[in-house]
Amino acid sequence: MEKKEIIQTLDDIRDMMAKSSRFQAISGVSIILVGLYACVAALLVAPVARGWNCLSLPYDEYGNILLNTPHLIRMMVLSAVLLFALSFATVTVMAWRKAKRLNLPFAFDKRMFQMLLNFFIPLVAGGLLCLALIMQHHYGLTSSIMLIFYGLALINTQHYTYPVFRFLGYGELILGLLDCFTVQYAWFFWFLGFGVLHILFGILYTLRFGKKQAA
Amino acid sequence: MITGLEHLNKAFESKIRLGIMSVLVANESADFSTLKSLLQLTDGNLASHTRSLEDLGYIRCEKSFVGRKPNTRFYATEAGRTAFADHIAALESFLKNQK
Repeated sequence: MEKKEIIQTLDDIRDMMAKSSRFQAISGVSIILVGLYACVAALLVAPVARGWNCLSLPYDEYGNILLNTPHLIRMMVLSAVLLFALSFATVTVMAWRKAKRLNLPFAFDKRMFQMLLNFFIPLVAGGLLCLALIMQHHYGLTSSIMLIFYGLALINTQHYTYPVFRFLGYGELILGLLDCFTVQYAWFFWFLGFGVLHILFGILYTLRFGKKQAA
Repeated sequence: MITGLEHLNKAFESKIRLGIMSVLVANESADFSTLKSLLQLTDGNLASHTRSLEDLGYIRCEKSFVGRKPNTRFYATEAGRTAFADHIAALESFLKNQK
């Protein structure tokens, strides 16, 4: 056996182990789309939240965000839920298509269930916490909690898909934590985390994994 | 004749058998159709290779029914995991000695 052949064999083994145990069908383009949705949503919601200045939310003299009219809160929550549903649907449909194109496994089996479970446990916990705080009229931390728990959900999922997703998770986590310590830039951090970071990560992800898989 | 390759396992000379072991070592178990689509094999081809690995005691299978459809699930045995690890170690040590 040639040296080259042995290297190739070891590569094949590594590939097969990864392909069979990790979910590799997530499409980079869908991550970019999720980022774009988030940008659009953030831009749409910003004027609703506070006039036309998009960089920060309005505060009263006690440091509370001024969006505690029931109608606005309902709109914000509804748009967040819609945004999540649209993003999730996009990623799922595009992953299904990529799996079909590249003959990758895509079935709701034990592995997929484990991945979704590990993703949704932190996410649902964070979502409920946000909801509870909103219902008690504590709005200040909503954006940081969303970013932090989404980051933790991604980090928690790294063993079930490409491990690089943890870097997106770290990014969201850091932005969320920075957001905790600042008062006025909630909208800005949300836009950066869910919009810009997704787009950047999606581009890098496509460059790294798009070509390799197609080959 | 290249020295250092005498520890290689003859059972894993076939790419297909090596592929089956890779899947079963990385995962707890895999069913027939999953293996088939991952390795892109025909039913008969996969069946003959799994049988030979089973005869060696490297994998075991459990047959059950999902509704009326028979479902075969494969697991790597302890002996199979050891043999697979030894095989990879032999390949890697060969590469190291080459440098």
